[in-house]
Amino acid sequence: MPTLTIDGTEYEVAEGRMILQAIDDLGLLMSGVDIPHYCWHPKLSIDGSCRMCQVEVEGMPKLQIACNTLVTDGMVVRTDVERVKKAQRGVMELLLINHPLDCPICDQAGECTLQDYAFDYGMPGARTEEPRRPAKKAMDLGPTIVFDQERCILCRRCVRFCREIPKTGELGVFARGDHSLLELFPGTELDNPYSMNVADICPVGALTTKDFRFKIRVWFLDDVESICNQCSNGCNIYASRSNNRIYRYLPRRNDSVNDTWICDHGRLSYQLIMENRLTEPRVSRRGTSYADAVRAAGDAVRAARESGGSIVGVASPFVGNEDLFVLKQLLEAVGAPAATFAVPRGESDELLVKTEKAPNASGARALGFEESDASPGAVAVALVLGHTLAEECLKGVETLILLDTENCSLAERADIVLPARSFAEKEGSFTNHAKRVQRFRPILEPTFEALSEGEILQRIGAAAGLTGWTASYDVHEVSKRLSETVAGFDGINLDSLDDQGCELA
Amino acid sequence: MITQPYITNYLSEHYADDAYRELSGYEARGGFEGLRKAVQMEPADLVELVKSSGLRGRGGAGFSTGLKWSFMPSGNDRPKLFVCNADESEPGSFKDRLIMERGPHQMLEGILIGAWAVGASKTYIYIRGEYKVPTRRVEQAVKELYERGYLGQKILGKKGFDHDIVVHSGAGAYICGEETGLLESLEGKKGQPRKKPPFPAQYGAFGLPTTVNNVETFAHVPFIVARGLDWFLAIGTEKSPGTTLFGVSGQVERPGLFELPLGTPLGEIIDHAGGVRGGRALKGVIPGGMSMPILLPEDLDVRMAEEFLSERGTHLGTGGIMVMDETTCMVRVAAVTSYFFRDESCGQCTQCREGTGWIHKICERVEAGRGSPADLELLDDLPGLMEGQTICAFADAAAWPIQGLLRHFRADFEAHIAAQRCPFPESFEL
Ligand SMILES: Cc1cc2nc3c(=O)[nH]c(=O)nc-3n(C[C@H](O)[C@H](O)[C@H](O)COP(=O)(O)O)c2cc1C
Ligand code: SF4
Ligand code: SF4
Ligand code: SF4
Ligand code: FES
Repeated sequence: MPTLTIDGTEYEVAEGRMILQAIDDLGLLMSGVDIPHYCWHPKLSIDGSCRMCQVEVEGMPKLQIACNTLVTDGMVVRTDVERVKKAQRGVMELLLINHPLDCPICDQAGECTLQDYAFDYGMPGARTEEPRRPAKKAMDLGPTIVFDQERCILCRRCVRFCREIPKTGELGVFARGDHSLLELFPGTELDNPYSMNVADICPVGALTTKDFRFKIRVWFLDDVESICNQCSNGCNIYASRSNNRIYRYLPRRNDSVNDTWICDHGRLSYQLIMENRLTEPRVSRRGTSYADAVRAAGDAVRAARESGGSIVGVASPFVGNEDLFVLKQLLEAVGAPAATFAVPRGESDELLVKTEKAPNASGARALGFEESDASPGAVAVALVLGHTLAEECLKGVETLILLDTENCSLAERADIVLPARSFAEKEGSFTNHAKRVQRFRPILEPTFEALSEGEILQRIGAAAGLTGWTASYDVHEVSKRLSETVAGFDGINLDSLDDQGCELA
Repeated sequence: MITQPYITNYLSEHYADDAYRELSGYEARGGFEGLRKAVQMEPADLVELVKSSGLRGRGGAGFSTGLKWSFMPSGNDRPKLFVCNADESEPGSFKDRLIMERGPHQMLEGILIGAWAVGASKTYIYIRGEYKVPTRRVEQAVKELYERGYLGQKILGKKGFDHDIVVHSGAGAYICGEETGLLESLEGKKGQPRKKPPFPAQYGAFGLPTTVNNVETFAHVPFIVARGLDWFLAIGTEKSPGTTLFGVSGQVERPGLFELPLGTPLGEIIDHAGGVRGGRALKGVIPGGMSMPILLPEDLDVRMAEEFLSERGTHLGTGGIMVMDETTCMVRVAAVTSYFFRDESCGQCTQCREGTGWIHKICERVEAGRGSPADLELLDDLPGLMEGQTICAFADAAAWPIQGLLRHFRADFEAHIAAQRCPFPESFEL
């Protein structure tokens, strides 16, 4: 492996990489090794135009751009010399002469690379008195994106994104010199299933998403690591929250799953979390207390066991591995067959979107549940998670116990209804289509009484008087037991997983 | 229209003769002897010959032609291409036009010799869009070559010597003369130079190994091969052999093209052009096209070859000499120069896109009598932020003239700022 020395520190880097890539591979770019850059993006082709990443390379008379300079063994690079600092100051000054400097009203402020680098690499004050290049404000580029052309620094990340990732190519830089402007190609609009990623990669506040624009200043947000639950790809995300509310999803980089992208549908799905929530525990279609509903469910299970009535479980591909594991244990304890589950399906594409429109069908399979949308027939008790199975399949059920997040039509018909927490309100893991187990963390506090499916089932088991079952529930404990008992999960549990997840054996 | 240079040498010897631009006339005056000799040689020896001739590219950078040819990969696993750069857009340069109008077969023969040397199967001739007559003449000449079997399959009966030529019209951008901007434009894309690496010899037009040479560079090649090294090396200087077509424009009596050996003193070339117009005194001379730093009257002794010009802080460039007399306002020169570069920057690189615009605005302000000492400081500083830091040499070309003007004519700028008006009422109009 070639060695690369930057400012006196030696690094072992991969073969055939540019300086910037090599540092990024090590996870050190801008966090340990500071080489500021605008046009370069780890998942796009190299552009080499912003010239911000210039460094001094021993043996080369001119400064070189780190994004397009191949590392050779023994290469010695310096960023801490005056020549480099002067070049960085120069690029910053020139980028700013045509910038409106409207940070006070710009959504990007606080997470803007232009702002950040201006502090870190720029010079105080301005030497320009000329008016800015004329450009448009708040252009509508399509259904998802608004463009403030005057803020654009022409790094062309968005142009390359559209050409290289969704391969739709709607954007281009038109005209020349300092008349250059980013525009849509005539007759097009920015309308593709991945369009909103351009807002993430735009280093400035030129491209903003309509859903987030002007909603909140970013410094009031904290970003929680999570997983998109809209399909089995399990894209890694940050959920930006404030005041117990999610303001946006951002892609979280995972090179084995979603690189640095998410689809627009997934990105906007935070808006679905609070939609049509099931808030009220019910027994026999009448509202009651949570404890009453749990007790009634426990009683139904106990009665079925005592009378030899059959009990079945219907799992959901929307709940976490831990929830599914408690269901598995409960069914085993009452001598019921393994649960079945149904998966909603839809369109897929070559990039990220998968046909299974749920995050955890693989998890259900890994726990030994069988995919089936057949009716369980005439049974005494059905423990049903969610509403993926068609309602008429459950006609023959004597006592239907439903654990769900949504106020669906099945909830009208169920005998016992227990509001469940959405994935955003609990902790756990999903197993994606490629059998990668990935953690999600609690983002929101539930605003009404609701428990995770795992905890509800735990309490039902205790209420049914199952041997060894208590009502106490700790998702980390459950996860540990899961990893100890289920084949493939060896060593994979909430405490062992890092932010990139881990594939099942 | 300039059809006849006042001084001729081997390139332009027959340019006055209309028959010379036709294949029969060209052949009757020694044309295609070079190619006939070349195909008797091993390609590698031919590359070696051009290397030893010391021929330097006439497109502006003065790079060794033989050395450039040697960068082309050997072997025939991928087709190899030549590109003839006929985009000639550097203000002050008009030599390639004359070659294409009066001696197109020289260039085409040079291309064919090069094609044999590096094994190129196709050449694209990229001609500046405004060059209607040159384009027509080159197209006509190419047609003749096909008709006479100098193009197509088995050229001169040589098995494996196949070559095609495509004439392509540019669409009006100076930056399409930069070799990789040209390649992008040729591929139908926006003319924006490519980052390097990869270099054209590895990844050129349509991703294929490509060598780009200037029209005049190609035109010299047949003479070198036909007449031999000793003959060629005796012309010009040791490091810059051969002649070039010096283009003299500006305030001289007889502007035009003059074919003279490289190394001819600058003053002598201006004398050939009849000297400064109206007997006025000389104020400054740009020696190699607008991109090159200006020289002073005391530099008239400089020998016009890169090795001597670089000692005076400037370059030979394209050999386009622009003469300015004593009435000239050098701030106006800075304003028009910076206007050109602002308008022509492709706009990719931060420093070039923003720097060219800013410099132009400052120069206009100073010229309009609204400049301040701070503007002068900026003009001192900004070219340094651009030079040597961009994808292509355009930013250098935009920075150098400003640096040169400030180095030699600072007083002009200071006078504008002090008087808050232009003190050169007789200067050319903006
Ligand atoms: C901004 C710019 C414009 C250029 N324009 C031309 C041109 O019009 N014609 C040309 O032959 N070379 C031009 N060049 C030089 C080419 O990039 C290239 O070096 C040349 O075509 C190589 O040919 P040569 O080696 O035969 O000189 C230009 C370079 C730059 C940086
Ligand atoms: S809009 Fe943003 S991403 Fe696109 S070129 Fe401008 S600054 Fe770059
Ligand atoms: S591809 Fe699937 S997992 Fe990824 S963001 Fe879209 S819906 Fe969510
Ligand atoms: S230096 Fe100027 S002309 Fe050359 S690539 Fe950069 S922006 Fe374009
Ligand atoms: S990041 Fe290297 S040139 Fe833009």
